[in-house]
Amino acid sequence: MESGKSDFQKGLKDGLTVGVSYIPLAMAVGIVASKLGMLFGTWEIMSALLYSGSSQSAVLNLISNGATSILIYLLTFSIITFRHVLFSLSMSQKMDPKMSVLSRMLFASFNTDEIYAIAMQQPGKLKAPYLFGISVFPYAGWMLGVTLGFIFNQLLPDSVKSAFGITLYAVFLALIVPPMKKSLSVVFGVVCSAAISWILECIPAVKNTLPPGTPMIICTIVTCTLGALFLPVKEDDEKLEDEIKENNM
Amino acid sequence: MDNKFLITIILLMFLISYLMKMVPMVFCKGKIKNKFLNSFLYYIPFAVITSMTIPEVFHSTSSIISASCGVALAVILGLMGQSLLVIALSSTVIVFIVENFVLRLF
Repeated sequence: MESGKSDFQKGLKDGLTVGVSYIPLAMAVGIVASKLGMLFGTWEIMSALLYSGSSQSAVLNLISNGATSILIYLLTFSIITFRHVLFSLSMSQKMDPKMSVLSRMLFASFNTDEIYAIAMQQPGKLKAPYLFGISVFPYAGWMLGVTLGFIFNQLLPDSVKSAFGITLYAVFLALIVPPMKKSLSVVFGVVCSAAISWILECIPAVKNTLPPGTPMIICTIVTCTLGALFLPVKEDDEKLEDEIKENNM
Repeated sequence: MDNKFLITIILLMFLISYLMKMVPMVFCKGKIKNKFLNSFLYYIPFAVITSMTIPEVFHSTSSIISASCGVALAVILGLMGQSLLVIALSSTVIVFIVENFVLRLF
């Protein structure tokens, strides 16, 4: 009992920095949603259920491009979320084997890239109280941020809103640039994807006929196939995990 | 954008993401051995994030010049190993400064 309580507190503490860092990020996403004229209730439901900066941004991006095909939304979303299959796979190996199925099912909905990165650095097996503890502040911070961002959009002057237009992309750059220093594979992936994406954007036929979101899917499949064929990554998961950790610290 | 359509896709996306997070955590114990699949999965986040950023980032603010300054700063700070939050905020601030104090001069 004692150890369960201190595990929970340790988790809360580890989650606090993540929670605080989510607030401005979530605000940036909230501002975008508000700009698109989404209803406040719909936005809160979306944030509560999807709870992910990258997926929510991708969905907002599709909405602003006027995508109307359910298939495109689900396909884009699945591609972006697919990394969680990998996270969950590697995390399952580190979880306390005694952790119940119910606890695992509950924790799964609260896992994020950052929680994954921090939890994987813990010594020993991951226990349920720790995992629930670390989930509290990030979720609270995210919901607070998306709500504040949505409300602030109505109050902020246009000059500030314009500057916030780049925030999300700066976050994306912050995720891909630092690992480029460490790995040739990452450099290849980023350069290849950027080149294909830019070329697709420049072909009017692609831009005008393909549904919004499709170029991203093409770009991802081509880049990953080329990468896996010509520059396969070594099998040790540790390298990947280390990069994700460094990414998010 | 029709609200009912939005709610529908949100619920479907929630279901997809939940299954993706939950199923491997509950059922899988073994590691993936296939080299091609492993490499393919490894490249996904980088490919997706890059294609969402390029070239849209250059049209994300009211001027391509301010956006380019933001990109340049983000890349430099990224190479210097700064944290996500520092990069995101600095980039936003430089766009604001360029748009309101530099571009106004011309």
